[in-house]
Amino acid sequence: MITSRNIGAVAAAATLLAAAPLSAIFETWTWLVQSAIAVAVVAGVAALTRLVRAPLWGQVLGMVAALVLALTWLFPSGSELLTFLPTPATFGHFADLFTGSMQDMRSYGVEVPDTDPLLFITVLGVGGVAVLVDLLAVGLRRPALAGLPMLAIYSVPVAVYVNSVPPVPFVVGAAGYLWLLVTDNVDRVRRFGRRFTGDGRDVDVWEASPLAAAGRRLAVVGVALAVALPLAVPGMTSGLLDTLGGGTGNGTGRAGAGGSSGRIDLFASLAGQLNQSEVADLVKVTTSEPSPFYLRYAVADELRPNGFQARNPSGRPVNRDLPDPTERAGRGVQQTPYRATVEVTKSLSMSLMPVYAEPVRTDDLNSNWLYDPNQQVVFSNRENSRDRKYSFDYIRSTYTPAALRAAQPLPADHPVRRQLTATPGPVPEVEELVKSLVQGKRTDYDRVLSIYQHFSADNGFSYRLSTESGSSGQDIVNFLTNKVGYCQQYAAAMAWLVRSAGIPARVAFGFTNGSKRDGDTYTLTNLNLHAWTEVYFDGIGWVPFDATPTYGVPGSTRSAWAPDTDAVEPSSPDTGATDTSADPDASAGPTGSDNADRDTDSGLSLAGETPAEQAPVWPWWTAGLLALLALLAIPALRRLALRRRRGSRAAGAARAATPADAAPVDGGRLMVVEADANAARADAHAAWAELLDTLVDFQVRVDRTETPRATADRLVREAVSDDVAAVGAARLLGRAEERARYARDPLTGEPLVPALRAVRGALAARADRRTRLLAAVLPPSVLLRWRTALADSSGRMVALTGRARYRLLRWNPRRLLADRAAR
Amino acid sequence: MTQQTWDEVGGLLPHDEFRAASEAIVANIEQVIEGKTATVRLALAVLLAEGHLLIEDVPGVGKTKLAKALARSIDCTVRRIQFTPDLLPSDVTGVSVYNQETHDFEFRPGAVFANLVVGDEINRASPKTQSALLECMEERQVTVDGVTYQLQTPFMVIATQNPIEMEGTYPLPEAQRDRFTARIAMGYPDAGAELAMLDGHGGTDPLNELRAVSDADIVRQLIATVRQVHVADAVKQYAIDLVTATREAPDLRLGASPRATLQLLRTARAVAALEGRDYVLPDDLQALAVPVLAHRIIPTADAQLARRTTDAIVSELVHRLALPHDRQRSPYDTRPATGNGRAPYEPRRP
Repeated sequence: MITSRNIGAVAAAATLLAAAPLSAIFETWTWLVQSAIAVAVVAGVAALTRLVRAPLWGQVLGMVAALVLALTWLFPSGSELLTFLPTPATFGHFADLFTGSMQDMRSYGVEVPDTDPLLFITVLGVGGVAVLVDLLAVGLRRPALAGLPMLAIYSVPVAVYVNSVPPVPFVVGAAGYLWLLVTDNVDRVRRFGRRFTGDGRDVDVWEASPLAAAGRRLAVVGVALAVALPLAVPGMTSGLLDTLGGGTGNGTGRAGAGGSSGRIDLFASLAGQLNQSEVADLVKVTTSEPSPFYLRYAVADELRPNGFQARNPSGRPVNRDLPDPTERAGRGVQQTPYRATVEVTKSLSMSLMPVYAEPVRTDDLNSNWLYDPNQQVVFSNRENSRDRKYSFDYIRSTYTPAALRAAQPLPADHPVRRQLTATPGPVPEVEELVKSLVQGKRTDYDRVLSIYQHFSADNGFSYRLSTESGSSGQDIVNFLTNKVGYCQQYAAAMAWLVRSAGIPARVAFGFTNGSKRDGDTYTLTNLNLHAWTEVYFDGIGWVPFDATPTYGVPGSTRSAWAPDTDAVEPSSPDTGATDTSADPDASAGPTGSDNADRDTDSGLSLAGETPAEQAPVWPWWTAGLLALLALLAIPALRRLALRRRRGSRAAGAARAATPADAAPVDGGRLMVVEADANAARADAHAAWAELLDTLVDFQVRVDRTETPRATADRLVREAVSDDVAAVGAARLLGRAEERARYARDPLTGEPLVPALRAVRGALAARADRRTRLLAAVLPPSVLLRWRTALADSSGRMVALTGRARYRLLRWNPRRLLADRAAR
Repeated sequence: MTQQTWDEVGGLLPHDEFRAASEAIVANIEQVIEGKTATVRLALAVLLAEGHLLIEDVPGVGKTKLAKALARSIDCTVRRIQFTPDLLPSDVTGVSVYNQETHDFEFRPGAVFANLVVGDEINRASPKTQSALLECMEERQVTVDGVTYQLQTPFMVIATQNPIEMEGTYPLPEAQRDRFTARIAMGYPDAGAELAMLDGHGGTDPLNELRAVSDADIVRQLIATVRQVHVADAVKQYAIDLVTATREAPDLRLGASPRATLQLLRTARAVAALEGRDYVLPDDLQALAVPVLAHRIIPTADAQLARRTTDAIVSELVHRLALPHDRQRSPYDTRPATGNGRAPYEPRRP
């Protein structure tokens, strides 16, 4: 029983550890506290039920009940008994929280704040996993399977962070899982009664079996590999997961059950922001463009029965090369490069980043920010736009009506047309209206223009913010009949109608230019949020049309290809018009001064627009190649240095040993002065070491049990027998080393260096080409020595850690307890 | 008769004279024993190392002849003991007999009172008699009736024995074997040597014509010169390593004794000197390991069952043992330092 309770506690702790990845999603740690409470309650009840020997189903029921009680206490609805006994109203509250959590998931990007619905769903999930893990690990004794529910928790950040997941929480979770496995297996082994060891001695109760060391090392290596490998593999970016996520998301309607987290209902937030009574500055944008078109951040291009929706964007990091729109330049299309700096305030927090269409280069944005070239939006799955400041270069394209008229209709099987003209089932009123509008129009542009002009004051359309929002088929019909709405209805209705006419269209979201302007800096508030229509023309791209009446939208602009249909009306829209007209005069000066005000970095970046300024890649390649070569050359250089040092030693010796130093004594034997003897010894040793290295290099066996004489004899016998000079040289080297090691007087004055050279030459002549190459480039002697040194040091390290561990184990609480129990 | 004591050896011989004297003895013996230069030199080396020699081989390969040839080449006192089962210790050491003229006990020296003692078929005598040699071989003295008599220098026991006969023999006890510096086998002569032997020994025994080419004084000088041969620390260490290896070898029940270490180095000195060197090489130790160590050690029952001879075990040890780390070695040496490969950490049992 005690061991079961142990495993139960470990299972609970492992569940909490496995929940660590959720920390990447929440802004604060409230979730952890609440999850810990729920898990603790579940584990406590599980232990209690086991104490009374309840059957397995009883344990599960008890744990589920405990989870419900914990949830009731943590998320009160006010109608509980004794604050933790749930009533039917509590469950209604739970259902609300659940629905709310779905909505919150869509409306918040990571990291999310502590909202009750999100905390509720988190605690529910972690608690549920705790129940499952306890059931699997303790009830069924299958702790390996408990990894699956734990993995389920880990999959949440994986789904949210599309391109990469922080590795540290994974390590924590994996550690928890391994802990659970280890506890279970230790328990299993202990049931054998006697514990096995690798080295034949007994193991105390407190002590880990030496056999477990291999398992621990394997586990550490496994986890490290699992973390490091995905980090090392390049190109694990958004693509695959993102399309999967987009494919499985099932709608984002109000009633929506499910839907992928992090998706934002653009229309809902737009309506919400526009209806807010208090005005907050969201964005401050400075641009070199005299009268910029709208700043945009999102696109809804998926038309479902309940309206236009945003698809999950997918793309490449924004700080790499962005697609170049100038390829599409043609007659009647004018493209001008500008530069803008955007400063997002604290009030705007979303995973999308407002930019002008179409950015070609960005500064100050890291690779967590991605650019979707189709939707032309900048987004991130990990970061947040809050408090961010960044600059970008963009190309503004303007079109003449003639150019648009010249664009050919897209072929019916073109993917863009197939995808972006889809409407969910025919709406008869719309079909009829479109038919009447496009009748007799010969080009796409004329058809679009006709639909665009339909939303004019002449046709009775007017602007009012307090309209029922929505963009579903029925909402569109209502709007077309009532002719009262705001930008959402205008943009969606026009896109719908254009699609019905067989031309790709979508709804874009962004900011108008607003009414607060200082030089060429625009301060944009929540009231400047706007939606408009974009229509696709073959060979030209996406062209914006804003059908919303200008008087309803402060700071709206119109273009040459979509003139203001209500221009005759002398009402508030003129503010926008005057703004526009005033722009050229105002911007010429301020642009310059503003450039001067910018820090040098931006100034340089501005100058760096020309392609020549782009940093060339080849120096890096060359440097890398050189570094690699240098790395490869290190062994050979080391060998050369060694040979030179030994060579100079031996040569110096030959020079020093002049006949004057040696006097013939005792019948021809030489008596050598002591200092010279030491030098001669060192020389002989150097020459011998060099000879051994040479042997290793040319793959002649070197035997540690052989004496110098035996080695020289073997060398003569096996390797250099054909070469008389080399035979003499080898014997000389052997004799010199032997005398230096074992005799009273070493040999002096012998030509050791030429002898070495002779042996080396003979060996090289005998070796095959591969051996020669290896000896020159990657000398085995050096590599061997390094390997030996590495092995030695690691061996020392193991011994040191072993001793340290033993000392630490002296204070192991388990050992102390066991000792006391034994006493 | 002057008692020459253990340490009273002659003066040093110059290199050339040493060479001439030793070569003369070897050449003289080779007149009798053809084609066994290495064995003959080893026998001489044992003499110069102040040791004793055990010649062990099958019958008829010239064991006794070698012993006699060595004895005859040196002009000194030589005694021969034929070890028979009824030989008594007093026949070896000597006995006090009652002299009726002087009315006193008088010591009559036994066979060991000579410079060279040839003990033939030593394993045929009973252990009682064999053990009579213990004291004189190691301590070079004989104690009879409480009186100790010093033996002369040089003193060398050359014993022969036949290893294949088991019945009626008494294998030498360990203590006795340990006193022999080296055990050598004669081995069969090669074809050419055997032919030369047939020619030479056809009519007369060449042993009879052998003249002494040396005498005890010269041998004493040779011994003194051998004692001066230089042994580097590394070589000493290697000798210790070798002997230690026999003590730690798993195949051996009994390793070699410290006396073995001493005699190994002494013999190595002699071998080096005979080769004209004034320093000992590890090569000498390697060559001497089997003759000097193999007869002192006892293999385990497992090794005996596996028919591993002590010779094979020792030569395998020699092939496995790395040369000692020389204090004067080059700092660039590639070979890793020797170690027993065991981790220094061994957890203490509570």
